[in-house]
Amino acid sequence: MSQERVIETDVLVIGGGIAGCFAAIKAKEQGAEVTLLDKGYVGNSGETPFAKHFGVFSPEFGHDLEGWMNQVSHVGEYMNNPEWTELTFKDSYARWQDMVDWGVKFYKYDDDEYVWWPPREPEEMAKYPMQSIRMYQRQHAKIYRTQALKTGVNIVDRVMVTDLLKQDDELAGAIGFTIDDQEIIIVKAKATIMTAGSAAFKPNGTPLHVITGDGEAMAYRVGAEITGKEWNDCHPSRAEFPAWQWSPNKDISLSKKDDYGGLPKKVNAEGDQISDGKTVTLWIEDVFEADAGRAPIYWQFGSGEAAYHNLVAGPEGQPRNPLDLEAEKDGKVRMVLGSSLGMSVHNTEGIWPTSTKCETKIPGLYAAGDSLGARTVGARYPNIGFSTAYCSSTGTRAGIAAAEYALQKKSPVLDEEEITRAKKELSAPIDRPGGFSPSWVTQALQNTMMPYWILYVKSEERMQSALTQIEFMRDRVVPKLSARDAHELRLAHETKNMVLSAEMKLRASLFRKESRGTHYREDYPLRDDNEWLAWVKIKEEDGEMTLSKEPIPEKWWPDQTIPYEERYPIRFPGE
Amino acid sequence: MSLENIDPVLCNGCGICVDSCMVDVIRMDEENEKAVIQYPDDCMSCYFCQQDCPEEAMYVSEVKHPPLFVAWG
Repeated sequence: MSQERVIETDVLVIGGGIAGCFAAIKAKEQGAEVTLLDKGYVGNSGETPFAKHFGVFSPEFGHDLEGWMNQVSHVGEYMNNPEWTELTFKDSYARWQDMVDWGVKFYKYDDDEYVWWPPREPEEMAKYPMQSIRMYQRQHAKIYRTQALKTGVNIVDRVMVTDLLKQDDELAGAIGFTIDDQEIIIVKAKATIMTAGSAAFKPNGTPLHVITGDGEAMAYRVGAEITGKEWNDCHPSRAEFPAWQWSPNKDISLSKKDDYGGLPKKVNAEGDQISDGKTVTLWIEDVFEADAGRAPIYWQFGSGEAAYHNLVAGPEGQPRNPLDLEAEKDGKVRMVLGSSLGMSVHNTEGIWPTSTKCETKIPGLYAAGDSLGARTVGARYPNIGFSTAYCSSTGTRAGIAAAEYALQKKSPVLDEEEITRAKKELSAPIDRPGGFSPSWVTQALQNTMMPYWILYVKSEERMQSALTQIEFMRDRVVPKLSARDAHELRLAHETKNMVLSAEMKLRASLFRKESRGTHYREDYPLRDDNEWLAWVKIKEEDGEMTLSKEPIPEKWWPDQTIPYEERYPIRFPGE
Repeated sequence: MSLENIDPVLCNGCGICVDSCMVDVIRMDEENEKAVIQYPDDCMSCYFCQQDCPEEAMYVSEVKHPPLFVAWG
C-alpha cells in the first residue's frame, strides 16, 4: 500500500448515516470545514436507508411528555438515562422540521393526516402513548447526502477508517484506506465525531452487515469507555428465507387508517398465543418457547395492507414464491430469531458520553447516533422511530459542539511514530503472505455466538465457554487475518472489530448477575434492584478489558414501594 | 447467492449499482464497461441495486447459500 493522501479538516465525521449527516451539516453551518467519511456511499449506507419511521414528539400533536417518558422507563426497565430521553423528545420536533425543510416525505392518509405508528386503541394509548410518523424508506437518506453537499461538506465515499489517532492525550484524526484503490487516507482533524453505528455480527435477515462495531472498537482502543453491551436486539427473520426478511418493502399508498392493520400476534407450535400483538413484549419470548420445545413460532399478521407488506411481500410488493402464497392464505409466517445478532438496544450501547454535548472522555472525540452509548432507551426498545429522532438529535448536538471546539483549536501535529504504527496495523492483513480469510473467521464467530443458549438464554458456564472460544480467536486467529485485496482488507478490520464486540458482550453479560429486559440469565432469573440499578462500563486498562458499575442516581429508580410483580410485569422463565 | 445475475445485455455501464451496494459486492469491469458481481458471498440481500438499476438488469434472489464451514479457511 504505497499510495497515501493527507486530508486536513476542522471536523472529521466517521460514518454517513442519519447521525453523521446531521453532525456534518450542523458543524458546517457553524463555519467549520467538515470532512465526512463512509466505508460505503453516503446516502446508501448504514442502517439509515432502512429506517421508515420518525419519532417526533410535540404537544402540537397532542403528545404528553410524562406519558412518553414513562413508556421509555417502563419498557426499558429503568435502565435509561431520563435526561437524555427527554432531550431526544424535546429536540425531535426541530429535527423533524429540518427534514421537512430539506424535502423528506412523510406518509399521509387521503384525509391529509399523518400516518402514525403503531395504531393503538385509546386504552392502550393511555399506557403506551409513543408514536412515530411513517416516512418513505431510502428517500430520506439520499436527501441527507444532497443537503450535506449543498451545505459544503466534503464527502469522501468508500473509505474504511481503521483507527483513531491521538496527539498527546487529545484526539488528532484518523487513518483508513480506500476500498477501490488501496490508498491510505490520513485525516488531521481538530475534532472528530464518531457516527459509525452500532455492532452486529453480520447476521442474516436484517441488512446489518456494515454495522460491525467499528466506531466503538476504534474509540475503545484509544481509551474511551463503552457501555450497554449486555442487552439484545431481538429481530426475527423468516425461517424459510433467513437472509432476506427485512429487505426494503415497496412504498405503499394508504387511503384510510384500517389499511395499516395491527401488530402481529404470535402463536407457538401448540397453537397457543404467546403475545396478543397489542402490548409491548420482550421480543425474546420466542426463544423461551423454543427452549421449551414449542417451536416453530408463527407470526400472524394483521388484516391491514401494511402489516402484510412488512411480513410477507417482497420488494415489488408481491408474494415471492409458493410458500408466501401459502402464508398469505393462512395469514401466518414461520419466524426465527437471530437476524440482528450482536446488536444491543438502539441508542443505548456505544461510547459513554461525558456531557449532553456528546463529548467523551477523550478530548476532541465526540459521538452520536448508535455509536453513542447515552442509554437513552435502556434494556429494551420502546417504540419504532425513536432511533431516528435520537440520531438526528445527537448528531446535531455533536456537530455544533465539535465545530465550536475545533474553531478554537490549532491544527494538530501528528506524531510520525504513531502514524507508522497505525499504517503497519492497517496493512498487516494484506502484507501477510498467508493466514485466515475474514469471511471464514466471521463464520466461526457466528457459529460461536448464534445458538440461542449463548446470548438469548444466558448462563455463567455457557458464556464462559463461549468466551474461551472468543479469547482464542482474539489471540490466535485475529492476528493472522489475511486479505488478498482492499475489499478483503475492509472485511479483516470489520472481523477484528466484531471479535472485540463479542468479547465485550460476553463479559458485560457475565458481569450483570441478574435478568432485566432483553438480558436473560437463567442462573439469575430475577431483576435485582438492590445490586443492579446500575450501568456497565467497559474500558481498556494496561491491555486488559475491565468492567465497572456506574450506579443510576436514586431519583431515577423505580418506586420501590410498588410490588415487584407490578414494577416488572413481564415474567422470565424460572422467575 | 442473493445477487444472482446482472444481465450484461441490459446493463448500460452507468455504475449506479456500485454506489447502491454498501457491502461492495459489485464492481465495474473497466474493459467491458459493465457491472459485475465481484464478491457474491458478501451480498446481504438488501435489494438496493435491483431497486436503483435504471435498466432492470439486476436479479436478487431471496435464497442465500453461504460457503460450507471448514476447520480453517
